[in-house]
Amino acid sequence: MTAVTAGAAGGSDAQPLRTGRWTRLSEWFALYGMSIFAALVLSAILVEATGGDWRPVVSALFDGSVRRPGRWGETLATAAPLLVVALGTVISSKAGLVNIGQEGQLYVGAAIGTYFGFLIGGPGPINVVLILIIGAAGGGLWAGVAAGLRYWRGVPEVLSTLLLVTVGGQAVAYGLRWEWLLLAPEGRRGNRNQVSEQLAPDNRLPRPDLFGNEFPLTVFIAVVLAVIVAFALSRTVWGFRLRMLGRNPRAAQRSGVSETRYGAMALMLSGAFAGLAGAAMFTGGGFAFGNYQMVPGFSANIGWTGLLVALVAYEKPLAAIPVAVVFAGLRTGSSFVGSTGVEGRITDVISGLLVLALLIPAAVMFLRDRRRARAAATERV
Amino acid sequence: MKMLIGLLLPDAGTISIDGRTESIHDPLTATALGIGMVHQHFSLVDALTVWENATLGDTGRLDPSATRDRIGEIAEQYGLVIDPDKRVGDLTAGLRQRVEIIKCLRRDPSIVIFDEPTSVLTPEESEQLFESLRHVVAAENRAVVLVSHKLDEVLHATDDITIMRQGRVVDQRYSTDADAPTLARAMVGREVSLRSERAALGIHSPDDTDLGGTVPAKTDAVLPATAQPVLRIDRAIAHDADGVVALDEFSLEMYPGEIVGVAGVEGNGQRALGDVLSSLLTLSSGTVAVDGTEVPTGRSGAMAEAGIGVIPEDRHDSGLVLDMTVAENLVLVDQSRAATRGLIDQRRLNAFAEEMIEQFNIACGGPNAPMWSVSGGNQQRVVLARELSQEPKILVAAQPTRGLDVGAIEYMSHRLETAAASEVAVLLISSELEEILELSHRIIVMHSGRIVGEMSRAEANFETLGLLMGGTAA
Repeated sequence: MTAVTAGAAGGSDAQPLRTGRWTRLSEWFALYGMSIFAALVLSAILVEATGGDWRPVVSALFDGSVRRPGRWGETLATAAPLLVVALGTVISSKAGLVNIGQEGQLYVGAAIGTYFGFLIGGPGPINVVLILIIGAAGGGLWAGVAAGLRYWRGVPEVLSTLLLVTVGGQAVAYGLRWEWLLLAPEGRRGNRNQVSEQLAPDNRLPRPDLFGNEFPLTVFIAVVLAVIVAFALSRTVWGFRLRMLGRNPRAAQRSGVSETRYGAMALMLSGAFAGLAGAAMFTGGGFAFGNYQMVPGFSANIGWTGLLVALVAYEKPLAAIPVAVVFAGLRTGSSFVGSTGVEGRITDVISGLLVLALLIPAAVMFLRDRRRARAAATERV
Repeated sequence: MKMLIGLLLPDAGTISIDGRTESIHDPLTATALGIGMVHQHFSLVDALTVWENATLGDTGRLDPSATRDRIGEIAEQYGLVIDPDKRVGDLTAGLRQRVEIIKCLRRDPSIVIFDEPTSVLTPEESEQLFESLRHVVAAENRAVVLVSHKLDEVLHATDDITIMRQGRVVDQRYSTDADAPTLARAMVGREVSLRSERAALGIHSPDDTDLGGTVPAKTDAVLPATAQPVLRIDRAIAHDADGVVALDEFSLEMYPGEIVGVAGVEGNGQRALGDVLSSLLTLSSGTVAVDGTEVPTGRSGAMAEAGIGVIPEDRHDSGLVLDMTVAENLVLVDQSRAATRGLIDQRRLNAFAEEMIEQFNIACGGPNAPMWSVSGGNQQRVVLARELSQEPKILVAAQPTRGLDVGAIEYMSHRLETAAASEVAVLLISSELEEILELSHRIIVMHSGRIVGEMSRAEANFETLGLLMGGTAA
């Protein structure tokens, strides 16, 4: 990341680093190519074995994610919250924390944003911004529970964030059963019994239309956030200290980076990003995300998938942009596969295989890098 | 020691037991050969009960009642009373060691090795332990190896003494023929000094030239008593992670421009002292004050902010972040010299790093080389460069030359001396007496977390220091 600016003294020595970068890049491509190919071959075998034909399946994947009119807009609309969740995850992992409760933070954040959105019900644009902010705050607070448990009582955040997903799900479901909380009043909830009111049209995020593809403003917000996070982590003192904490907590403690303060901040920020993603899903609407209503299962696995995006992007905010699009494409594409007559379960297995194919190279490279670093360290010390 | 219990394989040489040459390639073989060890650092599982811990390493089915009975037997036989159903985590350090001993004796070993067994025991407990050891040797025909740095207990509890230094046997004698001074001398040793040998041969490290001026002549003069101490540690008590007392009413005053050497056998609280001054350990009681202002212990960054620079004992532990670049490591403690309004200025950071690399002769692949790609000696220079560039009032150097080659050692010594010459108070914590005797103006000796002796350089010699380090009053 920083080797580009290597100074005069380092010029000759930096050379091996740079050639190392090219081999690395080609290794990445080779690994991805291999694992995706393997996943496709396995999927094809599976489809054939269950009496289908693999060609229309692949074609449907492309139709659903990009080819059919309006579909790439849908893909981008799905990619946006994934990216926002992933960015939050990058922040917490840089600080050495393992937040795996994005699904709950997103859901709770969105629900709290929804509640206050209807409670305040101010004029349109202001209310949208308010819902987004309150949603982020809600997600942050939900992660804050885990942060509090960790720094006051020493509960590992891996456990608490994960378990809080279940608690959050139950809490929102409870809210959806009472009119004074989230449930829409009698007569405005149709024949459904756990649904919030629908957001008024002037309270929604704008959905610009590009070449017949419609997607909410969230897409732009997410990209801007990615740039901001990348900059903050690599170029600010705050990011510097956060990375120090993640890489060597004892050196950080000695240097004045309070683990409690920075760690809690990172965890809560990570939750806030998830909450923001949830609030944006709510106000941005669209076919996939509840149609401007809070419903059970609203989070729709976006939190889990966003976590995967961060993992595959290797903790790099900008790399998360294309990865989020790929994961979103898998999601929108596989919704079309059902129409080819292949059984729904098989479709799930196929998208699972493709996700695995995206994860394996990152895992392989991670293990490999660590082995190399260790070898280098023992060799030179 | 690790060789005997199979944790380490010898590169050369053999081990014979009862006249037969054996190869011990893992701890299980060692157990089978009848070698048992009581470790200095407990290898117990806190969450398990006493009898469960005693069975650790067993194979096959557990028999709780038989194990409990056996523990009861051992307890009675050796006077090691303990409740087998207690959780080990709830026991005091002394009782935990008892569990270790029982765990070892239960296997009925013919050779028992004790590694610094009394470091966590009270004097009476130690006395009791040695009595049962005598019993084990006399009545049951077992051999006991006692590894210890405390001269008293070595003299009182043993029959034969072997003195080791730097992996070599330097002396062997019967306890009845030995006394504390001879042991102390053999223990700290007096070899041809690497440094004086180099000086005699007229070798000078190339580093000598870039110090900008001559190294000041060493002054043994005691500083004026009227000066205000720059560092004052008052009756500090600290506990390590196991809850064992690491600093025990430790008090120290330091004045600008002096080098205070802290001598002592490792594991007598030096690490805790360094950790306290790095904000890594909180005192249970007592205070630390810099320039008369009290500094809260254990609050992140407080010590560094107060002007205490630290070259830590293990630079990978708290001195460096290996996954960051050399430049980033140079501003680890204070980013302000490379930042404006919270943003890091890459150009200024690089310029500063280049300057440090040149000034301290750090061999690395430029400011942006990852820290792990730099050799150990140069990593140490990065730490030194950073800490000195902070212009500290106090510089703590803990084992600063460990693992460095001769040239690097010399360089480090020069740097410490120049620092002291510019009115920095240098606290040199070292287990190498030669280093301490060469650099210090004043020497304190630590034993069991306490200062057991203090003297000026002129008064110090190997024998008195050795006796004090061994816990015997000189």
